[in-house]
Amino acid sequence: MASADKTINTDVPEKDVFAIHFLQSLSNLRIQNLFNSPDTTNYRVRKIKKAAYVSMARAAGGTSRLWSRALLRRAAKGNNKIVRFPRRKRKVTWKISSKRRRSDQRAPVVEDAAERLRNLVPGGGGMETSKLMEETAHYIKCLSMQVKVMQCLVDGLSPK
Amino acid sequence: MLEGLVSQESLSLNSMDMSVLERLKWVQQQQQQLQQVVSQSSNNSPELLHQILQFHGSNNDELLQGSFSQFQMIGSGFGPNYNMGYGPQHEAMDGCISRTSSCQMEPVDTMEVLLKNGTKEDRPISLKNKRKQEVKTREEENTEKKIKVEADTESSMKGKSNMRNREASSETSKETLKGVSEIPKLDYIHVRARRGQATDRHSLAERARREKISKKMKYLQDIVPGCNKVTGKAGMLDEIINYVQCLQRQVEFLSMKLAVLNPDLELAVEDVSVKQAYFTNVVGSSKHSIMVDVPLFPLDHQGSLDLSAINPNQTTSIEAPSASWESQSQSLYNTSSLGFQY
Repeated sequence: MASADKTINTDVPEKDVFAIHFLQSLSNLRIQNLFNSPDTTNYRVRKIKKAAYVSMARAAGGTSRLWSRALLRRAAKGNNKIVRFPRRKRKVTWKISSKRRRSDQRAPVVEDAAERLRNLVPGGGGMETSKLMEETAHYIKCLSMQVKVMQCLVDGLSPK
Repeated sequence: MLEGLVSQESLSLNSMDMSVLERLKWVQQQQQQLQQVVSQSSNNSPELLHQILQFHGSNNDELLQGSFSQFQMIGSGFGPNYNMGYGPQHEAMDGCISRTSSCQMEPVDTMEVLLKNGTKEDRPISLKNKRKQEVKTREEENTEKKIKVEADTESSMKGKSNMRNREASSETSKETLKGVSEIPKLDYIHVRARRGQATDRHSLAERARREKISKKMKYLQDIVPGCNKVTGKAGMLDEIINYVQCLQRQVEFLSMKLAVLNPDLELAVEDVSVKQAYFTNVVGSSKHSIMVDVPLFPLDHQGSLDLSAINPNQTTSIEAPSASWESQSQSLYNTSSLGFQY
């Protein structure tokens, strides 16, 4: 069968790295002094959620992962910032068209589930299915780490 | 014979216009040498074939592999000889040949003719009839897919292990050859077609890709909890999607909770204490230096402020802590650290 496998590398940094990034982003939020004026909780919620995702992307690998890159780009676009990433060869549209055309013939069960995954995982639109699986694995790990951090924070802050 | 060879070669290799002329010239040279060899050859078939290999060798990559199976050549001995000295031309032509895999039969016939002239081989050389070939797709050279596919059909198992050895050694030597121009380490993923399955290149590549995907899905299965009970790709994928959605919803929920719990400024202030709690819980004192980078907030009128001052590394404008503060901080560390243990 298949030999010469490359072991999939999905190492995720420890919890405290996530914690540091998240808290720093929260303090940035506070320094921006946004919380004074807007009263709606929704606004704050959205800000915090965005901060959570951005900090997760930064903590998890910065620009070395496709999903984190897409996340950061999306966030930066919202802030009208220009983000520069180190150039990588990415023939996005070419890949999509060539893989998707045949993808419906290839195991349609897998492929439409992959479509749904692509909608969920940031940056999934430009990836082939096997790459998508790797990114999903890493994304899941980072998400669960982020959830743990936030849970800790909430537990620490909630009144006993 | 010479013209026939050349014309058939040109027919099969006409996909690359630029190098056809070069190739033709090269082929002609080889044919001349080959004729010499054939005329000089002894009656010993392995030797003849060896010589033929060396001169004619990489020109007809697949056909020679097919012929090997019939003649039970010595396994690994031919590997390094076979490929030496035919570097760049060799690869270009192989790439060409592999794309025209349907034309393989004609060169096989010519080889058959050659061998019949020189040998006393009485075994029927039915290269046409037997479908056993080693199909090496060189897609990875052209499309950078980096999958190498071998197909064994079930028909003849003669010399199969020899083939494998030769293939492995020829691959490694090819890899070293390629290493000059390309990335040094190319991982070829060997896929063997099973009994009764199609052996054309596309389905093999498909199969390789599907196995890659299933391997990654197994890896995902270990990560996602509760995926073991569900069998089948569809169920597993649904579980995975469900899990990702769950996690995202959890993040949203927790951010809502955070926003509600700590309106306005308190949140930022608490950061410091929480950071300290993390560090005491998770890591030793090595991380305390990071605390110096913590932004200093105007820490007034908050009860938990005292904690921030207690950290010895931190330089703030607040006065030095007293013993009572230390005890308070310890208690708070303990209570908050309880929540941080997972």
